[in-house]
Amino acid sequence: MIKFLQFIMIRAVMSIVTLLIVSFIVFSMMELVPGNCAERYIAFKNTQGQNITIEDIQAEERRLGLDKPYLIRAFTWMGNVFFQGKFGDSCILRLNINHLLSDKIWLSLGMSIGALLLSYLLAVPIGIYSAVSRNPIANNTVRFISYLGLALPSFLFALMIMLFTTVYFGESMSGLFSKEYRDAAWSYAKFMDFLSRAWLPILILGWAATAFALQTVRALMLDEIDKLYVTAARARGIFGRNLLWRYPARHSLGPVINSIGFDLNRIFSELPVVALIMTLTEMGSLLIDALAFSNDQQLAGAILVILTATIVLINFITDIILALMDPRVRQGLLG
Amino acid sequence: MSLLSVENLEVLFNTDDGVITAVDKIGFELEEGEVLGLVGESGSGKSVTAKSLMQLNPLNTFYGKNSSIRLKLGVGELDVLRLKSSKELVVVRGGAISMIFQEPMASFAPAITIGSQMVEQLMIHTSLSRSAAQELSIEMLQRVGISEADKRFHQYAFELSGGMRQRAMIAMALSTKPKILIADEPTTALDVTIQAQVLDLMKDLIQEFGMAILFITHDLGVIAQVADRVAVMYLGRIVESGPVKQVLHSPAHPYTRSLLNSLPKLDALDEPLTPIPGDIPSPLERPPGCVFHTRCPEAIAGKCSSEIPISVNVEPGHQSACFLNESPVEKTA
Repeated sequence: MIKFLQFIMIRAVMSIVTLLIVSFIVFSMMELVPGNCAERYIAFKNTQGQNITIEDIQAEERRLGLDKPYLIRAFTWMGNVFFQGKFGDSCILRLNINHLLSDKIWLSLGMSIGALLLSYLLAVPIGIYSAVSRNPIANNTVRFISYLGLALPSFLFALMIMLFTTVYFGESMSGLFSKEYRDAAWSYAKFMDFLSRAWLPILILGWAATAFALQTVRALMLDEIDKLYVTAARARGIFGRNLLWRYPARHSLGPVINSIGFDLNRIFSELPVVALIMTLTEMGSLLIDALAFSNDQQLAGAILVILTATIVLINFITDIILALMDPRVRQGLLG
Repeated sequence: MSLLSVENLEVLFNTDDGVITAVDKIGFELEEGEVLGLVGESGSGKSVTAKSLMQLNPLNTFYGKNSSIRLKLGVGELDVLRLKSSKELVVVRGGAISMIFQEPMASFAPAITIGSQMVEQLMIHTSLSRSAAQELSIEMLQRVGISEADKRFHQYAFELSGGMRQRAMIAMALSTKPKILIADEPTTALDVTIQAQVLDLMKDLIQEFGMAILFITHDLGVIAQVADRVAVMYLGRIVESGPVKQVLHSPAHPYTRSLLNSLPKLDALDEPLTPIPGDIPSPLERPPGCVFHTRCPEAIAGKCSSEIPISVNVEPGHQSACFLNESPVEKTA
């Protein structure tokens, strides 16, 4: 027990170190973009007809602390992020990033984790049954749908659905809220309205993830089912669901749990594109906007750190679940 | 009637390359308390035969129309091959027949404790309560010579040594008091010293539990130690069978002779070994006539490659299926 707590502590420390390294890399990448925040903002003002001098830029740099050395700025930023959870002000929008993201973080994480849940809730039972099923029609259907999920890019799928809903329902399914709830405070009705719209991006994001997870579960199950311990269990008179879930299914789920972190990563990468197509006002679309259009590195960096932190957290949790589930992993880790 | 009588057992596999005959119309009997050794090279069909007794072969397996595996249960009997569902097979699997395998490590589920697997089996086959099943399991572990049995009960297979695992496997197999134990190369994966210990243990347990054993191995030395009777298999057929001393001392079939000759002899270590020439043919290309004629040093040209030899008595209870045995003795029914 003490060893297990020790293991959790070590994993937690490792996760934090990972996050520190990632945030340092993110900060450095923000710095690598040509021009600093002061120049970009002033240049942005310039396009709006203001006349800017070098002095203005230097004054702005001093105000933002950009005249300080690189490492000091990096550690100040990382310190603010880690110890106070403050991402500072956005470079171009000149708004507090925490304020800007507060709602959108939860929308994005909600949709991504929704998609992740959907994919595993579908993939695990279907994958397991399709591995043991002898019904060729069901098997081929599952295989066809999952290959389609693997082959069809999310953006294309999203476009097709947008086209379909606009043509047949007149109203497009884009956006996360109906008009009347868009700026309303959170309430039960707003939540239901959110669900009534969010299922579509969740489905789009979840489909590819489901297809991928399904193939993984199926392959692992097929591998496990031929193992001697399953035959030995059958030889002891165990059969049906008792056999299936306790023996091959349980033993094939380790690598599946391990892959949850990767899947979340993949969903995050697709989120901005899907969000853009479906005009969702959430974090993913902001990321695209910050990276590609407004060149708002402060905002982009904040979003990247949040996404990474989520993945690191999920990996931390799956590591613990894995150790709880598999005595061999426990033995390897705890000695 | 015998405890187990196998008649005309034909086991076929449906594969992409066509139908493969793994076992070709064999028959044998097993009496109560008897140890029957089943010997043969890999691919001779001995494991498939054993698995047929519990219908454990893969899904693409089917059995010949006239095949029967009759098992005496109490006053009645049943034909294992007539049982359709896994539910019906429970009386056989782990009930009347238990099986231990070559790889004790691989035959325990890696993430379930040994005790949990033992109790699970007892809950299926007996009316014991969970705690009584646990007690019996620990008792069985002690009986097979596992120290600190109550601690081992809560451990996983990977935490035990190889010999200990096979002992635990034997304890689990015997805990339901089966009438027949199938031992599929139970000592092959063990060190020679451990092998001897496990064999001694098995001999003790045969006495104590009074069950019949079908002992599968390719090791004639092991057979000589444990078996009462032996059946030699080659490419899905039993080529010779009989009391173990008679078969090993005066082998009647050329295949049995070759098998014995290919063993190293401790009193003549410098003599070269005489391997059986060639490889066992692929089951897809089963030779016509006598299945051994392609490798047989004594094959009769023209005859062995076209006619199938019938099993004949060479001594009382000692049978061989070879044309060379046919002339002086009467044919069996």
